[in-house]
Amino acid sequence: MKAPLKTMAVSAVAAVALIGGAPAAAEDLRYVLVSHADDADAWWNTIQNGLALGGEQMGVSVEYRNPPTGDLADMARIIEQVTASAPHGLITTLADPDVLSGPISAAVDAGIDVIIINSGTPEQARAVGALMYVGQPEYDAGFAAGQRAADDGITSFLCVNHYIAQPASSERCQGFADGLGVELGNQMIDSGVDPSEVQNRVMAYLNANPETEAVLALGPTSADPTIRALDQMGLAGDIYFGTFDLGGDIVPAIRDGIIQWGIDQQPFLQAYLPVIVLANYHRFGVLPGNNINSGPGFVTADDLDLVAELAGEYR
Amino acid sequence: MSDTVHAPIVEMKDIEKHFGPVIALNGVSFDVRPGECHCLLGDNGAGKSTFIKTMSGVHKPTRGTILFEGKEMRFDSPRDAMIAGIATVYQDLAMIPLMSVTRNFWMGREPVRRVGPFRFMDFRKANDVTMEEMRKMGINLRSPDQAVGTLSGGERQTVAIARAVYFGAKVLILDEPTSALGVRQTANVLSTIDKVRKGGIAVVFITHNVRHALAVGDRFTVLNRGKTLGTAKRGQITPEELQDLMAGGQEMVALESSLGGTV
Amino acid sequence: MSSTGMVDERIKKTSRLRTAFIRPELGAIVGVVAVFLFFAIFAGDSGMFNPQGVLNWSTVSAQFVIIAVGACMLMIAGEFDLSVGSMIGFAGMSIAIMSVTMAWPVWLAILLTFAICMSIGALTGTIVVRTGLPSFIVSLAFLFILRGFTIFFPQVIERRTIIGGISERAEGDWLAPLFGGKVGEGFFRWLAEMDIIATYSRGARAGEPMVSGIPMLIVWALVLVIVAHIVLTRTRFGNWIFASGGDAQAARYVGVPVNRVKIQMFMFTAFCATVFATCQVIEFGSAGADRGLLKEFEAIIAVVIGGALLTGGFGSVIGAALGAIIFGVVQQGLFFAGVESSLFRVFLGVILLFAVILNTYIRRIITGER
Repeated sequence: MKAPLKTMAVSAVAAVALIGGAPAAAEDLRYVLVSHADDADAWWNTIQNGLALGGEQMGVSVEYRNPPTGDLADMARIIEQVTASAPHGLITTLADPDVLSGPISAAVDAGIDVIIINSGTPEQARAVGALMYVGQPEYDAGFAAGQRAADDGITSFLCVNHYIAQPASSERCQGFADGLGVELGNQMIDSGVDPSEVQNRVMAYLNANPETEAVLALGPTSADPTIRALDQMGLAGDIYFGTFDLGGDIVPAIRDGIIQWGIDQQPFLQAYLPVIVLANYHRFGVLPGNNINSGPGFVTADDLDLVAELAGEYR
Repeated sequence: MSDTVHAPIVEMKDIEKHFGPVIALNGVSFDVRPGECHCLLGDNGAGKSTFIKTMSGVHKPTRGTILFEGKEMRFDSPRDAMIAGIATVYQDLAMIPLMSVTRNFWMGREPVRRVGPFRFMDFRKANDVTMEEMRKMGINLRSPDQAVGTLSGGERQTVAIARAVYFGAKVLILDEPTSALGVRQTANVLSTIDKVRKGGIAVVFITHNVRHALAVGDRFTVLNRGKTLGTAKRGQITPEELQDLMAGGQEMVALESSLGGTV
Repeated sequence: MSSTGMVDERIKKTSRLRTAFIRPELGAIVGVVAVFLFFAIFAGDSGMFNPQGVLNWSTVSAQFVIIAVGACMLMIAGEFDLSVGSMIGFAGMSIAIMSVTMAWPVWLAILLTFAICMSIGALTGTIVVRTGLPSFIVSLAFLFILRGFTIFFPQVIERRTIIGGISERAEGDWLAPLFGGKVGEGFFRWLAEMDIIATYSRGARAGEPMVSGIPMLIVWALVLVIVAHIVLTRTRFGNWIFASGGDAQAARYVGVPVNRVKIQMFMFTAFCATVFATCQVIEFGSAGADRGLLKEFEAIIAVVIGGALLTGGFGSVIGAALGAIIFGVVQQGLFFAGVESSLFRVFLGVILLFAVILNTYIRRIITGER
C-alpha cells in the first residue's frame, strides 16, 4: 500500500503548490465578473485588464470567471456558484436570457448587486433586476456600421461569424445588412474559431462570390485570419473591410489601409466602470442614474496612435 | 482402451476442406470414442487448426461426412456444435483474464434467479459450483472472485476444461493446451485430461509434442500436409516413429541421424 | 515460466482485508477523499459547503455522472462514443424545434427525441460492429455530423442558433417535470421556516428558501448509477458486457451476443446524453448550438478516473460516478478556494494523471496483468 499513499502525498504537494497564487485575505469588498467567452477568446483579455485595474484603484478584490468551452449552460452554473459564495457584486454578460436570467435574478434576490455588461440589452438587464447595463447594443452597432458602409457605396458583403452560437453575433450581421438596406441571405458564414479554418473559409467564399464588395468581421478571432486571407488573394486594401472590436492585428491593418474602420465598443470600460460604480455604490451609496453606453465608436486611420499603443491591453 | 465397448461418438470420413485454390484438408478420416483420449499430432501447417474448426462447426467441410453419435451432422455454427456436446478449448481464446473465474466459468450460460419481475445472476450458485468443479480438477481457488489473469497458464486451461465438462460436453477438443506451459503446469493439465477421460468424455488432444501425447493418449493420429498418415493404438508405436511420421518420414530420419537422435 | 509460479504463490498469501480494499473504485475513492479534504481546508468557509454551494457542485457533478454512467458501460463493453457532447446539443435542439417551432406538446418532443437519439446510438453501434472500424473513428464522424445539424437546423428554420421559450411551452406538461422539476420542496420550505437554511432577502421570492428542492437532474444521476451498477454486477447481461469488452472473440465462442450487447450500450450512452440534454433544456428553457461542447471528453475522463480500462472489460459504475464527482467538485471548488480559474485544467490534469497511475497499479493487482 506504499504506492497509493505516496501518490496521495505527491498530489497533496502539487495541490498546495497550485493554491499558492490565491489571494491571501479578502479585501472588504469582493466583485466577480462572469463572461460567456471560451478560454481561447483573446478579446476578453482587455476586460480582464480593466477589471484588474478597477479593482486595484478602488482597493477591492475582483475575480474573473468564464465557461472554458463557452457553453452557456456551464455559465449558468458558474453564476449559481458565484451566488453561493456571496460576493458583494456580480458583473456578468447576458448572452442568452433564457438560460441566464434565472440564475442572475436569483443572485439579485439573494442580495447581490448585479451589473450587466457587453451582451444583452438594457431592457433585459432591467428585467433581471440588474442595477444597470454597460455596453453597446449589438444590433444598433451593426446597423450604424451598415449605414456608414452604405454611405461609402457598398451594396453586398460577407459577414465572417466566428461565434455563430451566440445570438448577438448574428444580430451584428443582421444589423449591418439592414443598415445597408439589403437582405442578409447567405452573406453570413460560420467560420469556426480556428485561425486557418477561418482563413480558408473566407477565401473559399470570396472565390465563389467574386462580386462581394465588403467584408465584416466580428472581432479579432475572425478579423486576423481574414486579413491574411485578403493578403493571399491580393484583395487587401481593395475590398472594403470593416470589423467589430480592436485588438490583435486589427490596428496595424487600419494603419495600412487594409481595414477601413474598427468598431470599438471599448470593452475596457465595460469591466472598469462597473467596478468603480459598484465600489462607490457600496461605500457611499451613489449610483449613476442610467445605463452607460461604452460604444459604438469608429476607429479609423486618423485616430490610431493612442489606440495602437494600447491595443489588446486597454483598447 | 475399450474400443470394442463403445462406438465412436464422432466419426469424420474423407474430410476435404478447400479455401479457394488452397487445399487445407485433403481426405482426413478420424474418429473418437467416449472415454478415450485420441491425440492428433502434426507439425505447424499440417492442417490441425482447420481440422479442429471443421470438427467444432466453425468451417463446413468441402467434401466428406461427419457422423455424430451415428447420425450425419451439419453444424451451422460453433454454437450448434456446442449445444450438441462438442466443446472446444482454444489455446489463447479460452478465458478473459480481466474477469473473475466465476464470470468466465458461466460466461454465456449464467444461472438466473428471479426476484419479482427482475432476473439477477445467481452468484451464490455460480460461485459454489465453480469452486466445487475446480476442486474436482485439483485446483483450490483463493476465491471465486479471483480474476483469471491471476491464475497460471495451466490453471486457466483447467478452468476452461472444467467449464466444458460441467456444461455437458461429450466431446472435448483441446487445441495445444500444453504448448505454452512449463513442466509442472503441463503435468497438471495432462492429469486433468486423464480425469476427464475417466469420466467417460471423448477427448481430442491436439499437440505437436510427442511426449505429451504419449503421456495420456489412447490412440494417435498424425496429420501431415492435409492428410492423415494413419492411426496407431497405445503401445503399438514408439516416440521415434511418431516423430518421424509428423515430420513426413524419410527427411526426418536423415536429419535425425545427423543430429545424433536428439530431436 | 517459473516466475509465473512465484507470482501465483505470493498472491495467494494476500489477506482478506487487502482483497476487500483492492477494488476498481479504490483510486476514485482515494481521490474523492483527497479532494474533499483539500477543499475543506482551503475553501471550508467560502460558501462551498453552505446549502447553495453544496447544491451547486452536486448539480454540476450530477451532470457529469449522467454522461459518465453511459460512457462507463460502453467503455466496459469495449467501445467509445465521442459523439456524446454533440448528442447533447442535438437532443436539446431537437426538443426545442419540435416543441417551440413546430408547437408540438413537450412530452411528445421529449419522447420523439429519445427515440431519435437512441436510434442514432444504434446506428453508430451497428456501423462499429458491422465494419469492425474503431468506435473512436465512427463516433468522431457522428461528433461532426450531429454538431453540424445542431447548427444547421435552427439556422435554417429560425435564423438563429439559440431557440428559447421552452419553459412556457413546458408549463403544465406531464412529462417535463420529470426532467426539470425538483423534489422535496416542502421539506426545504420547512427547513427555511425553521431558519436552518438561508432565504432570499428581496425581490419576488423574498422569504423563500434559496435552495428550494433537489433538482431532478440529481435524482436521475442517482437512479442511473444504481440501475447501471446492478445491471453490470448482478445480472447475466452485465456479465455479457464485461465479456464483450474483455475479449469479444472469446465471448462469441461461448455464445455471448457481443454485437447486440455493444449496440445496446451505444443506445444506452445516447439515452444518458439525452437525459442530460432534456434536463438542461427544461431547466434553462432554451437550446443552443454550442451546448455540450467537449462533454464527451469530460465523461471519458471521469470514467478513467473511476478506474475503468480504456480498452474495455474492466471498470465500475460506482467508480465512474465518483470520478464525475471529483470532476464536478474540483471544477466548482477551485473557485471557492480562490484559485485562478484557468488553473482548473492544470489541476484536473494532475488528478487525472495520478488517478490513472494509481488505477493501473490496482488493476494489476486485481487482474494479474504483467
